[in-house]
Amino acid sequence: MNEHHQFEEEIALYGLGVLDGADKAELEGHLYACSACRDKLAASRGTLALLAFAAPAVKPSPIVRERILEAFKARGGGPIRSAPPAPERRGLRMAAWVLVWAAVGFLLVAAATWLAVDNRRLSRRLSDLELAHSQLEAASRELEAVNARARAALEILTAPQTVQVDLSPAAVHPEPHGKVFYNPGKGLLFYATHLRSLSPGQTYELWLIPAQGAPVDAGIFNTDSIGNGQVILPPLPSGLTAKVFAVTIEPRGGVPAPTGPKVLIGSVS
Amino acid sequence: MAPTPGQRPDRRDSDEGLIRRIVDGDESALGILYDRYGGLVYSVAKHVLGDSGAAEEVLQDIFHQLWRRSANFDSARGSLSSWLLVMARNRSIDRARRRTPQLDDEDAASLHRPSLDIESEAAQNEMAARVRAALQALPEAQRVAMELAYFEGLTQSEIAKRTGDPLGTVKTRLRSALASLRTVFRI
Repeated sequence: MNEHHQFEEEIALYGLGVLDGADKAELEGHLYACSACRDKLAASRGTLALLAFAAPAVKPSPIVRERILEAFKARGGGPIRSAPPAPERRGLRMAAWVLVWAAVGFLLVAAATWLAVDNRRLSRRLSDLELAHSQLEAASRELEAVNARARAALEILTAPQTVQVDLSPAAVHPEPHGKVFYNPGKGLLFYATHLRSLSPGQTYELWLIPAQGAPVDAGIFNTDSIGNGQVILPPLPSGLTAKVFAVTIEPRGGVPAPTGPKVLIGSVS
Repeated sequence: MAPTPGQRPDRRDSDEGLIRRIVDGDESALGILYDRYGGLVYSVAKHVLGDSGAAEEVLQDIFHQLWRRSANFDSARGSLSSWLLVMARNRSIDRARRRTPQLDDEDAASLHRPSLDIESEAAQNEMAARVRAALQALPEAQRVAMELAYFEGLTQSEIAKRTGDPLGTVKTRLRSALASLRTVFRI
């Protein structure tokens, strides 16, 4: 874990939620691959949670407590489950029935009634469980999809054949920067920072320029409020050998071949 | 499993014991947890949102989540108090910034337990005093940067834009502030 000492400061900043742009993308790339640093992040977030105590203490209206407990009774927890009758008490109660009614038949009816009630309660419980099960299955499917995407991204970042290309400003804007992770068999990740925001009729388009042949569209993207953009796992023909990556400004929706000014460009070394 | 040193044994009214009682449908257990942490959650939401009504809605939503998710809560993965504090901050910021949740509930539930006991009111008061003292001890610019980050959910670039300081200066301030707090809280 000591070899990752250099990430400790960044992890705390990430846990606080202040990292953005290239700093964030770089650390996320490392976190994908490093479980020790993910543990550090979890610990850091847990401790940072204590900063909540800096908020001045104020009390909510008592009605909120009532609403929460009412909702609990009405929807999830149901009515407070009263303690089940103790076995001794039930025995006494049944003995009293025997004495008063002296009728085994009644006990059978009572037992049948109790079983019917219990059956209804169990049925309700079963339908609750079925609902919970279907919700869990849906959540699980969603999680699997997210995991598959994360694994695919991780494979690109860690595979030995992956090339890393830094893209520098082409001339239009002095500060933008991009980074491509490209693996011919696995796909492409791209992050850019400090790009200027475009007019609504325009978009950024990433191009993979192969060793032979025409530039291939590697995805369009727009920037957020601070000029960050990304293209994650765009559909690309498999096995393309990349020579150069470039970003151009194109009409909204993208174009099949580059027409606009290049704002970022980088060669595979 | 035997409790490790410093970890309190599971009691019926410990956070863990109360969660189990909520799973069994015990309304009073939810009431006790609300009395224990409701004020804290509300204070965070009110500080972030500034509006009592919105803060109460966040509070209500978080406690609904708490009992809906009670059966999945695993004390080995994280403490309830951490989960509540993180949820209070995140949900409030998400609401203030009208954005979709940034950290999902499961993530939050896997937070590590801070090695600090804040179940009693006295312990919470003591923790609040410690945290405020630690923040007060920071130079003002660092404290402002931390508060913008924590209670407004701003990133370093957004803080720079808000305060008008260069991004590099903001980064340095945040790093210095965290380094100081790390010595107090071992972040």
